[in-house]
Amino acid sequence: MTDGKTCKELILDCLLEFEEGTMPVGERQDLQLHFEMCPPCMNFLATYRATGKALKMLKPTEIPPALEETVMTFVRARREKEKG
Amino acid sequence: MGSNEAATDLDLVRRIKAGDDQAFEEMVKRYHARVYSLSYGVLRNPQDAEEATQDAFLTLYRKIGTFDESRKFFSWFYRVALNSAYSRARRRPALPTIAIEDRLPKFSGDGHFAAEVPDWSVAIEDDVAARELAARAGEFIGELPPAYRDVIWMNDVEGMAPPEIAETLEISIPAFKSRLHRARLYVRQRLSEISSTPNRAEAAG
Repeated sequence: MTDGKTCKELILDCLLEFEEGTMPVGERQDLQLHFEMCPPCMNFLATYRATGKALKMLKPTEIPPALEETVMTFVRARREKEKG
Repeated sequence: MGSNEAATDLDLVRRIKAGDDQAFEEMVKRYHARVYSLSYGVLRNPQDAEEATQDAFLTLYRKIGTFDESRKFFSWFYRVALNSAYSRARRRPALPTIAIEDRLPKFSGDGHFAAEVPDWSVAIEDDVAARELAARAGEFIGELPPAYRDVIWMNDVEGMAPPEIAETLEISIPAFKSRLHRARLYVRQRLSEISSTPNRAEAAG
């Protein structure tokens, strides 16, 4: 490959920084070319990104509505018990 | 009274140390959702996450005197929260531990992929399929050793900044990156295993 890296090096050593966008432009362009010319790496990249999107959907959107109050009641009760 | 809107975490810590109940209440208001979400990442169950959140704030109340004010409060408190969640998780039957290495991509001696790499990524564009993938990804995160699970949950699910995560977990940035990448590779591989190849027509063409 033009970037001089094997698929193994690309996937195991460089992919995270490639995705973070923290890589020098020249190096990034080389890797981009590798992806474009290498279907297995391109498929890997697409599924790595899909994994990231799936993970983003996991954040609990429903915080129990009375949680704040439950916490305060719990801590106050334990505090009173310990004082008494 | 006075407004607490602009109080920093450290202001609140100092007031809690001095016995100010209102400051404690403000801290609960400020952090309960984040602590719940972190706990949920460990426990994957709303009731357990709620109870772990209560435990974390009780520990905060009890141990605030030991908090070193030269450190960032959130990183100290997130560790307290993770400890509360893991303490609860340990009461459950232990899951078999997995070896991440077994699920990392395999390469041949010349550095090429040792097996075909199917592209199932189109599934993420479909609402129903994407929700199913997300649910399974959550299960697969649960299979990871805690050191990896915390990193991927905090970064990819919670969207915390890497320096915050590294500080909370008391690890270096390179260690953080290495764990994050391996955790992602693991979850990606597990998702690949359950995702049927949607359309082989193109490959056959």
